[in-house]
Amino acid sequence: MTRADRIVVAIVAALALAAWPLAALAGASGRADIAVVTGPKGVTELRLDAPGRYAVEGLRGTVELVVEDGTVRAAESSCPDKLCVGQGRMHTPGSAIVCVPNSVTVRIGGGGDAPDAVVR
Amino acid sequence: MRRTPSYADARTLAIGAALVALGAVLGLVESAIVPPLPVPGVRLGLANLAVVLALAWLGPRRALEVSALRVLLVALAAGTLGGPGFAMALSGALAAWAAMAALARTVPGVSPLGWSVAGAASHVLAQLVVASVLSGSVAPLLLSPLSLALALLCGLAVGYSARLLLSRPPLALWARSGMGWKDGWLRDSSHAPALPVTPCSQGVPTRSRTPRS
Repeated sequence: MTRADRIVVAIVAALALAAWPLAALAGASGRADIAVVTGPKGVTELRLDAPGRYAVEGLRGTVELVVEDGTVRAAESSCPDKLCVGQGRMHTPGSAIVCVPNSVTVRIGGGGDAPDAVVR
Repeated sequence: MRRTPSYADARTLAIGAALVALGAVLGLVESAIVPPLPVPGVRLGLANLAVVLALAWLGPRRALEVSALRVLLVALAAGTLGGPGFAMALSGALAAWAAMAALARTVPGVSPLGWSVAGAASHVLAQLVVASVLSGSVAPLLLSPLSLALALLCGLAVGYSARLLLSRPPLALWARSGMGWKDGWLRDSSHAPALPVTPCSQGVPTRSRTPRS
């Protein structure tokens, strides 16, 4: 590893470290009991204090979201890799579930956006 | 002795094609094994190995061709062409190439290890930005700290692999002096001793050492 390589590594490490508080700040403003669900058909908000099971229409099928104990997780998805399912339960503001093939994202901490009709 | 490679140089073409094949195979293997990481788009980045090698051996222009072609091939074979995953892969590949080519051109002290780390970082960043734009949500960007940290590790791993391959070219054919894009850096760098052209025991013909015009 040359000296210049170390500088490159240090820059990337610094970026990763700097991104941590930035991402936390970006999400921290929201409320912990609301999840913003963004799908190809629109945006809506879920209350995390009301348990339930929701199907979100994605690009290539549906993503099933389960709300329980103040957390949300993707229980099932029609995507090939199931990374969204592997992301597990989310409850802190600023954390997120992302399913790229379905273009569905869930972000904890909502503002006051008007709900749209995505969730059935 | 420096030989200026012409664009239609057969050897360049052959090595470039081999690297496209390498990148495509590594990319396919990767798309089959999804690491159990909770971040979309994070892979080991093995396919970037082919691009790093292309950059070192053939220069930025060929590296771009290798990168774009292998992304296209993997998308065709995996059936993801045109989907959001393809947009992420392509943007990531282009960003990685841009970062690596810029480093290779402008900062002389950076070795392929540094290229690889910078490439991995720009790859994940571009992917997350594209995912954010496509999904219309900032949620993917919230994953960037974890992605960057993983990219650093994967970039280092791929960079070390590239360094190994660069210091021990797989075919005696490739080991000719003046092979490096920046003529002779293979010989100058500390990790790669002068490379004699040794006949390959498997019967690969060694080329004549008399330089062509």
